[in-house]
Amino acid sequence: MKTDDLAAVLAADAQRVDTASLTRATGLIALAGLAVTSCAILLMFGARADLAVAMATAPVLAKLTLGASVAGFSLVAFQRSLRPGRATVGALWFVMLPLAAVFAWALATLAGQPAGEWAGPILGRSWRACLISVTLYAMLPFAALLALARFGAPVKPRLTGIAAGLGAAGLATVAYALHCPEDALPFIASWYPLAMGISATIGAVAAPRLLRW
Amino acid sequence: MQGGLDLPPLLRTFRPLSLDDLEAALRPAFLAGLEGDAAAYRRFLDLIGVRLRGFLRGHLARAGIAGNDEAEDVLQETLLALHLSRHTYDPAIPVSAWAHAIARYKLIDHLRRSGRHRGHLPIEDEALALSVSAGAASEAKLDVERALSGLPERTRRLIDRVKLQGASLAEAAQAAGMTETAAKVALHRGLKAMAKILVKRGTRPP
Repeated sequence: MKTDDLAAVLAADAQRVDTASLTRATGLIALAGLAVTSCAILLMFGARADLAVAMATAPVLAKLTLGASVAGFSLVAFQRSLRPGRATVGALWFVMLPLAAVFAWALATLAGQPAGEWAGPILGRSWRACLISVTLYAMLPFAALLALARFGAPVKPRLTGIAAGLGAAGLATVAYALHCPEDALPFIASWYPLAMGISATIGAVAAPRLLRW
Repeated sequence: MQGGLDLPPLLRTFRPLSLDDLEAALRPAFLAGLEGDAAAYRRFLDLIGVRLRGFLRGHLARAGIAGNDEAEDVLQETLLALHLSRHTYDPAIPVSAWAHAIARYKLIDHLRRSGRHRGHLPIEDEALALSVSAGAASEAKLDVERALSGLPERTRRLIDRVKLQGASLAEAAQAAGMTETAAKVALHRGLKAMAKILVKRGTRPP
Protein backbone atom coordinates (compact mmCIF):
# COMPACT_ATOMS: atom_id res chain seq x y z
CA MET A 1 0.00 0.00 0.00
CA LYS A 2 1.31 3.46 -0.79
CA THR A 3 1.77 5.81 2.13
CA ASP A 4 -0.59 8.26 0.45
CA ASP A 5 -3.29 5.59 0.31
CA LEU A 6 -2.74 4.77 3.96
CA ALA A 7 -3.14 8.45 4.84
CA ALA A 8 -6.44 8.49 2.94
CA VAL A 9 -7.67 5.48 4.89
CA LEU A 10 -6.59 6.97 8.21
CA ALA A 11 -8.25 10.28 7.39
CA ALA A 12 -11.48 8.43 6.66
CA ASP A 13 -11.34 7.25 10.29
CA ALA A 14 -10.99 10.79 11.66
CA GLN A 15 -13.50 10.58 14.45
CA ARG A 16 -13.61 12.89 17.41
CA VAL A 17 -10.99 11.98 19.99
CA ASP A 18 -10.83 12.97 23.64
CA THR A 19 -7.26 13.64 24.86
CA ALA A 20 -8.36 13.91 28.50
CA SER A 21 -9.68 10.35 28.79
CA LEU A 22 -6.38 8.82 30.00
CA THR A 23 -6.08 11.40 32.77
CA ARG A 24 -9.66 10.84 33.83
CA ALA A 25 -9.27 7.07 33.78
CA THR A 26 -6.10 7.28 35.89
CA GLY A 27 -7.98 9.36 38.46
CA LEU A 28 -10.91 6.97 38.49
CA ILE A 29 -8.63 3.97 38.98
CA ALA A 30 -6.91 5.79 41.84
CA LEU A 31 -10.24 6.45 43.58
CA ALA A 32 -11.65 3.00 42.89
CA GLY A 33 -8.36 1.37 43.86
CA LEU A 34 -8.30 3.24 47.14
CA ALA A 35 -11.91 2.31 47.88
CA VAL A 36 -11.48 -1.36 46.99
CA THR A 37 -8.20 -1.89 48.83
CA SER A 38 -9.56 -0.05 51.90
CA CYS A 39 -12.71 -2.16 51.96
CA ALA A 40 -10.71 -5.34 51.47
CA ILE A 41 -8.33 -4.48 54.30
CA LEU A 42 -11.13 -3.40 56.63
CA LEU A 43 -13.03 -6.63 55.90
CA MET A 44 -9.96 -8.85 56.23
CA PHE A 45 -8.20 -7.24 59.20
CA GLY A 46 -10.61 -4.61 60.54
CA ALA A 47 -9.66 -1.05 61.41
CA ARG A 48 -7.18 -0.51 64.20
CA ALA A 49 -9.14 -0.37 67.45
CA ASP A 50 -8.33 3.26 68.24
CA LEU A 51 -8.59 4.57 64.68
CA ALA A 52 -10.88 7.48 65.53
CA VAL A 53 -8.37 8.85 68.02
CA ALA A 54 -5.20 7.70 66.25
CA MET A 55 -6.27 9.30 62.98
CA ALA A 56 -5.08 12.68 64.24
CA THR A 57 -1.75 11.44 65.62
CA ALA A 58 1.57 12.00 63.89
CA PRO A 59 2.37 8.35 62.99
CA VAL A 60 -0.97 7.69 61.32
CA LEU A 61 -0.85 11.03 59.54
CA ALA A 62 2.69 10.20 58.45
CA LYS A 63 1.51 6.92 56.93
CA LEU A 64 -1.44 8.55 55.20
CA THR A 65 0.67 11.43 53.89
CA LEU A 66 3.44 9.09 52.74
CA GLY A 67 0.98 6.88 50.86
CA ALA A 68 -1.05 9.71 49.37
CA SER A 69 1.93 11.74 48.21
CA VAL A 70 3.77 8.77 46.72
CA ALA A 71 0.56 7.75 44.96
CA GLY A 72 -0.06 11.31 43.77
CA PHE A 73 3.38 11.94 42.29
CA SER A 74 3.60 8.44 40.81
CA LEU A 75 0.21 8.59 39.16
CA VAL A 76 0.98 11.96 37.60
CA ALA A 77 4.16 10.39 36.22
CA PHE A 78 2.22 7.28 35.17
CA GLN A 79 -0.34 9.28 33.27
CA ARG A 80 2.36 11.30 31.53
CA SER A 81 4.31 8.17 30.65
CA LEU A 82 1.39 7.05 28.49
CA ARG A 83 1.80 10.19 26.37
CA PRO A 84 4.74 10.14 23.94
CA GLY A 85 6.95 13.21 24.08
CA ARG A 86 5.88 14.08 27.60
CA ALA A 87 8.69 14.13 30.17
CA THR A 88 7.97 11.59 32.89
CA VAL A 89 10.99 11.08 35.10
CA GLY A 90 10.76 14.55 36.63
CA ALA A 91 7.44 13.87 38.33
CA LEU A 92 8.67 10.48 39.50
CA TRP A 93 11.66 11.98 41.31
CA PHE A 94 9.26 13.90 43.54
CA VAL A 95 8.46 10.57 45.18
CA MET A 96 11.84 10.93 46.87
CA LEU A 97 10.57 13.90 48.91
CA PRO A 98 8.09 12.08 51.18
CA LEU A 99 10.41 9.07 51.36
CA ALA A 100 13.38 11.22 52.38
CA ALA A 101 11.22 13.01 54.96
CA VAL A 102 10.07 9.78 56.58
CA PHE A 103 13.62 8.35 56.55
CA ALA A 104 15.00 11.48 58.17
CA TRP A 105 12.29 11.42 60.80
CA ALA A 106 12.94 7.75 61.54
CA LEU A 107 16.69 8.31 61.82
CA ALA A 108 16.10 11.21 64.20
CA THR A 109 14.00 8.87 66.35
CA LEU A 110 16.61 6.14 66.30
CA ALA A 111 19.45 8.55 67.03
CA GLY A 112 18.13 8.98 70.55
CA GLN A 113 18.53 5.27 71.29
CA PRO A 114 21.53 2.96 71.52
CA ALA A 115 22.03 0.94 68.33
CA GLY A 116 21.40 -2.30 70.21
CA GLU A 117 17.76 -1.32 70.77
CA TRP A 118 16.92 -0.40 67.19
CA ALA A 119 15.44 -3.77 66.27
CA GLY A 120 12.34 -3.21 68.41
CA PRO A 121 11.04 -0.01 66.78
CA ILE A 122 12.05 -1.18 63.30
CA LEU A 123 10.49 -4.64 63.39
CA GLY A 124 7.50 -3.83 65.59
CA ARG A 125 5.11 -6.74 66.02
CA SER A 126 3.74 -6.95 62.52
CA TRP A 127 6.39 -6.19 59.93
CA ARG A 128 5.57 -9.30 57.92
CA ALA A 129 1.87 -8.49 57.82
CA CYS A 130 2.62 -4.92 56.75
CA LEU A 131 5.07 -5.89 54.04
CA ILE A 132 2.95 -8.68 52.62
CA SER A 133 -0.39 -6.84 52.84
CA VAL A 134 0.79 -3.60 51.26
CA THR A 135 2.55 -5.45 48.45
CA LEU A 136 -0.33 -7.84 47.77
CA TYR A 137 -3.13 -5.28 48.01
CA ALA A 138 -1.15 -2.98 45.77
CA MET A 139 -1.54 -5.57 43.02
CA LEU A 140 -5.25 -4.72 42.65
CA PRO A 141 -4.77 -1.11 41.52
CA PHE A 142 -1.52 -2.15 39.84
CA ALA A 143 -3.33 -4.56 37.55
CA ALA A 144 -5.93 -1.93 36.73
CA LEU A 145 -3.22 0.63 35.94
CA LEU A 146 -1.37 -1.77 33.63
CA ALA A 147 -4.61 -2.59 31.89
CA LEU A 148 -5.15 1.14 31.36
CA ALA A 149 -1.57 1.54 30.14
CA ARG A 150 -2.41 -0.74 27.22
CA PHE A 151 -4.72 2.01 25.98
CA GLY A 152 -1.89 4.51 26.15
CA ALA A 153 1.32 4.73 24.14
CA PRO A 154 4.11 4.15 26.66
CA VAL A 155 7.40 4.81 24.87
CA LYS A 156 9.30 3.90 28.05
CA PRO A 157 7.32 0.95 29.38
CA ARG A 158 9.72 0.25 32.23
CA LEU A 159 9.13 3.74 33.57
CA THR A 160 5.38 3.24 33.19
CA GLY A 161 5.68 0.02 35.18
CA ILE A 162 7.70 1.64 37.95
CA ALA A 163 5.23 4.51 38.21
CA ALA A 164 2.28 2.11 38.27
CA GLY A 165 3.93 -0.04 40.94
CA LEU A 166 4.78 2.93 43.15
CA GLY A 167 1.36 4.51 42.68
CA ALA A 168 -0.45 1.30 43.52
CA ALA A 169 1.71 0.74 46.61
CA GLY A 170 1.00 4.32 47.68
CA LEU A 171 -2.73 3.63 47.49
CA ALA A 172 -2.31 0.36 49.40
CA THR A 173 -0.29 2.24 52.04
CA VAL A 174 -3.19 4.62 52.66
CA ALA A 175 -5.57 1.67 52.89
CA TYR A 176 -3.36 -0.40 55.20
CA ALA A 177 -2.77 2.61 57.44
CA LEU A 178 -6.41 2.24 58.53
CA HIS A 179 -5.48 -1.10 60.06
CA CYS A 180 -1.75 -0.92 60.83
CA PRO A 181 -1.33 -0.75 64.64
CA GLU A 182 2.33 0.27 64.51
CA ASP A 183 3.24 3.79 65.53
CA ALA A 184 7.06 3.74 65.51
CA LEU A 185 8.53 5.92 62.76
CA PRO A 186 11.39 3.47 62.11
CA PHE A 187 8.77 0.80 61.37
CA ILE A 188 6.90 3.09 59.00
CA ALA A 189 10.13 4.15 57.26
CA SER A 190 11.20 0.53 56.73
CA TRP A 191 8.31 -1.63 55.64
CA TYR A 192 6.10 0.73 53.68
CA PRO A 193 8.97 1.93 51.48
CA LEU A 194 10.17 -1.66 51.06
CA ALA A 195 6.71 -2.71 49.90
CA MET A 196 6.73 0.23 47.50
CA GLY A 197 10.12 -0.88 46.20
CA ILE A 198 8.93 -4.43 45.62
CA SER A 199 5.82 -3.22 43.86
CA ALA A 200 7.89 -0.86 41.68
CA THR A 201 10.27 -3.69 40.81
CA ILE A 202 7.38 -5.91 39.78
CA GLY A 203 6.24 -3.05 37.57
CA ALA A 204 9.70 -2.57 36.08
CA VAL A 205 9.90 -6.25 35.18
CA ALA A 206 6.33 -6.88 34.07
CA ALA A 207 5.48 -3.73 32.15
CA PRO A 208 7.99 -4.01 29.28
CA ARG A 209 6.65 -7.49 28.55
CA LEU A 210 3.00 -6.55 28.74
CA LEU A 211 3.04 -3.13 27.13
CA ARG A 212 4.19 -3.66 23.58
CA TRP A 213 2.39 -1.66 20.95
CA MET B 1 -0.14 30.51 10.52
CA GLN B 2 -1.30 28.66 7.44
CA GLY B 3 1.64 29.84 5.31
CA GLY B 4 3.51 26.57 5.54
CA LEU B 5 0.53 24.68 4.27
CA ASP B 6 0.18 26.66 1.08
CA LEU B 7 3.72 26.07 -0.11
CA PRO B 8 3.79 24.09 -3.33
CA PRO B 9 4.98 20.54 -2.70
CA LEU B 10 8.31 21.09 -4.45
CA LEU B 11 9.24 23.97 -2.19
CA ARG B 12 8.28 21.92 0.80
CA THR B 13 10.62 19.18 -0.34
CA PHE B 14 13.64 21.34 -0.92
CA ARG B 15 13.34 23.65 2.03
CA PRO B 16 12.47 21.69 5.14
CA LEU B 17 10.38 23.68 7.56
CA SER B 18 12.04 24.71 10.78
CA LEU B 19 10.65 22.91 13.80
CA ASP B 20 8.74 26.04 14.79
CA ASP B 21 7.22 26.52 11.34
CA LEU B 22 6.36 22.86 11.25
CA GLU B 23 4.61 23.12 14.59
CA ALA B 24 2.73 26.23 13.49
CA ALA B 25 1.39 24.29 10.53
CA LEU B 26 0.86 20.97 12.29
CA ARG B 27 -0.90 22.05 15.44
CA PRO B 28 -4.06 23.64 14.04
CA ALA B 29 -4.46 20.81 11.53
CA PHE B 30 -4.01 18.17 14.19
CA LEU B 31 -6.29 19.86 16.73
CA ALA B 32 -9.02 20.20 14.10
CA GLY B 33 -8.46 16.53 13.31
CA LEU B 34 -9.07 15.67 16.95
CA GLU B 35 -12.46 17.34 16.57
CA GLY B 36 -13.22 15.06 13.66
CA ASP B 37 -12.24 17.31 10.73
CA ALA B 38 -11.05 14.74 8.17
CA ALA B 39 -9.62 17.27 5.68
CA ALA B 40 -7.52 19.01 8.33
CA TYR B 41 -6.43 15.66 9.66
CA ARG B 42 -5.34 14.58 6.19
CA ARG B 43 -3.27 17.77 5.97
CA PHE B 44 -1.63 16.86 9.26
CA LEU B 45 -0.85 13.33 8.04
CA ASP B 46 0.74 14.63 4.85
CA LEU B 47 2.86 17.21 6.67
CA ILE B 48 4.04 14.86 9.38
CA GLY B 49 4.54 12.08 6.85
CA VAL B 50 7.05 14.14 4.86
CA ARG B 51 8.85 15.12 8.02
CA LEU B 52 8.99 11.64 9.52
CA ARG B 53 10.10 10.12 6.21
CA GLY B 54 13.23 12.27 6.38
CA PHE B 55 13.68 11.49 10.07
CA LEU B 56 13.42 7.73 9.55
CA ARG B 57 15.58 7.63 6.43
CA GLY B 58 18.27 9.60 8.20
CA HIS B 59 18.32 7.24 11.15
CA LEU B 60 18.17 4.08 9.08
CA ALA B 61 21.01 5.36 6.91
CA ARG B 62 23.05 6.02 10.04
CA ALA B 63 22.33 2.51 11.21
CA GLY B 64 23.87 1.35 7.95
CA ILE B 65 20.61 0.35 6.35
CA ALA B 66 20.49 1.32 2.74
CA GLY B 67 17.36 1.59 0.65
CA ASN B 68 14.25 3.57 1.35
CA ASP B 69 11.64 0.82 1.30
CA GLU B 70 12.38 -0.06 4.89
CA ALA B 71 11.98 3.54 5.98
CA GLU B 72 8.63 3.58 4.19
CA ASP B 73 7.54 0.51 6.14
CA VAL B 74 8.43 2.08 9.47
CA LEU B 75 6.77 5.31 8.34
CA GLN B 76 3.53 3.49 7.58
CA GLU B 77 3.59 1.67 10.87
CA THR B 78 4.30 4.99 12.59
CA LEU B 79 1.40 6.73 10.85
CA LEU B 80 -0.91 3.92 11.91
CA ALA B 81 0.40 4.21 15.48
CA LEU B 82 -0.03 8.01 15.44
CA HIS B 83 -3.58 7.56 14.29
CA LEU B 84 -4.49 5.01 16.94
CA SER B 85 -2.70 7.03 19.66
CA ARG B 86 -4.30 10.40 19.00
CA HIS B 87 -5.93 10.31 22.43
CA THR B 88 -2.46 10.15 24.04
CA TYR B 89 -1.53 13.60 22.75
CA ASP B 90 -0.93 16.05 25.57
CA PRO B 91 -1.98 19.57 24.49
CA ALA B 92 0.79 20.95 26.74
CA ILE B 93 3.52 19.75 24.36
CA PRO B 94 4.22 20.37 20.66
CA VAL B 95 2.48 18.01 18.24
CA SER B 96 5.83 17.44 16.53
CA ALA B 97 7.43 16.26 19.80
CA TRP B 98 4.60 13.78 20.27
CA ALA B 99 4.89 12.50 16.72
CA HIS B 100 8.68 12.22 16.82
CA ALA B 101 8.53 10.27 20.09
CA ILE B 102 6.19 7.75 18.48
CA ALA B 103 8.37 7.51 15.36
CA ARG B 104 11.43 6.96 17.53
CA TYR B 105 9.66 4.21 19.45
CA LYS B 106 8.59 2.48 16.25
CA LEU B 107 12.06 2.83 14.74
CA ILE B 108 13.79 1.27 17.75
CA ASP B 109 11.15 -1.44 17.82
CA HIS B 110 11.77 -2.12 14.14
CA LEU B 111 15.54 -2.33 14.55
CA ARG B 112 15.27 -4.48 17.64
CA ARG B 113 12.87 -6.84 15.98
CA SER B 114 15.32 -7.41 13.16
CA GLY B 115 18.19 -7.72 15.63
CA ARG B 116 20.01 -4.62 14.43
CA HIS B 117 19.52 -2.29 17.36
CA ARG B 118 23.00 -1.95 18.78
CA GLY B 119 22.03 0.37 21.56
CA HIS B 120 24.25 3.24 20.48
CA LEU B 121 22.09 4.77 17.80
CA PRO B 122 21.80 8.48 18.48
CA ILE B 123 18.06 8.04 18.45
CA GLU B 124 17.50 10.98 20.77
CA ASP B 125 19.08 13.34 18.30
CA GLU B 126 16.27 15.75 17.56
CA ALA B 127 18.57 17.86 15.40
CA LEU B 128 18.84 15.10 12.85
CA ALA B 129 15.19 15.54 12.10
CA LEU B 130 16.05 18.98 10.82
CA SER B 131 19.22 18.13 8.97
CA VAL B 132 17.69 15.67 6.54
CA SER B 133 15.59 16.84 3.68
CA ALA B 134 12.84 14.51 2.75
CA GLY B 135 12.73 12.95 -0.65
CA ALA B 136 9.71 11.68 -2.45
CA ALA B 137 7.80 8.69 -1.18
CA SER B 138 9.18 5.33 -2.12
CA GLU B 139 7.58 1.93 -2.29
CA ALA B 140 6.99 0.27 1.03
CA LYS B 141 7.72 -3.39 1.34
CA LEU B 142 4.68 -5.40 2.09
CA ASP B 143 4.27 -5.03 5.83
CA VAL B 144 1.05 -3.04 5.88
CA GLU B 145 -0.25 -5.02 2.92
CA ARG B 146 0.32 -8.22 4.83
CA ALA B 147 -1.38 -6.86 7.93
CA LEU B 148 -4.29 -5.87 5.73
CA SER B 149 -4.62 -9.42 4.45
CA GLY B 150 -5.11 -10.58 8.04
CA LEU B 151 -8.38 -8.68 8.28
CA PRO B 152 -11.86 -10.04 7.68
CA GLU B 153 -12.88 -9.93 4.02
CA ARG B 154 -15.61 -7.33 4.57
CA THR B 155 -13.29 -4.91 6.34
CA ARG B 156 -10.61 -5.40 3.73
CA ARG B 157 -13.02 -4.54 0.94
CA LEU B 158 -14.16 -1.47 2.82
CA ILE B 159 -10.59 -0.27 3.26
CA ASP B 160 -9.83 -0.98 -0.39
CA ARG B 161 -12.77 1.15 -1.46
CA VAL B 162 -11.75 4.07 0.73
CA LYS B 163 -8.19 3.72 -0.49
CA LEU B 164 -8.64 3.17 -4.19
CA GLN B 165 -11.52 5.40 -5.01
CA GLY B 166 -10.74 8.02 -2.42
CA ALA B 167 -14.38 7.51 -1.60
CA SER B 168 -15.78 9.06 1.53
CA LEU B 169 -16.59 6.56 4.21
CA ALA B 170 -20.30 7.10 3.58
CA GLU B 171 -19.93 6.15 -0.08
CA ALA B 172 -17.71 3.20 0.68
CA ALA B 173 -20.20 1.99 3.26
CA GLN B 174 -23.05 2.20 0.80
CA ALA B 175 -21.09 0.29 -1.84
CA ALA B 176 -20.26 -2.39 0.72
CA GLY B 177 -23.88 -2.62 1.80
CA MET B 178 -23.19 -1.41 5.32
CA THR B 179 -24.63 1.43 7.31
CA GLU B 180 -22.23 4.32 7.81
CA THR B 181 -22.07 3.64 11.54
CA ALA B 182 -21.22 0.00 10.97
CA ALA B 183 -18.56 1.03 8.45
CA LYS B 184 -17.05 3.49 10.94
CA VAL B 185 -16.80 0.80 13.57
CA ALA B 186 -15.46 -1.77 11.10
CA LEU B 187 -12.83 0.61 9.76
CA HIS B 188 -11.60 1.61 13.20
CA ARG B 189 -11.49 -1.99 14.39
CA GLY B 190 -9.73 -3.00 11.21
CA LEU B 191 -7.01 -0.40 11.71
CA LYS B 192 -6.55 -1.51 15.31
CA ALA B 193 -6.28 -5.13 14.20
CA MET B 194 -3.69 -4.16 11.58
CA ALA B 195 -1.58 -2.41 14.21
CA LYS B 196 -1.78 -5.50 16.38
CA ILE B 197 -0.70 -7.76 13.52
CA LEU B 198 2.24 -5.44 12.80
CA VAL B 199 3.36 -5.56 16.45
CA LYS B 200 3.12 -9.36 16.60
CA ARG B 201 4.93 -9.87 13.31
CA GLY B 202 8.38 -11.30 13.77
CA THR B 203 8.31 -11.04 17.54
CA ARG B 204 11.35 -12.80 18.86
CA PRO B 205 11.68 -14.03 22.44
CA PRO B 206 13.58 -11.46 24.53
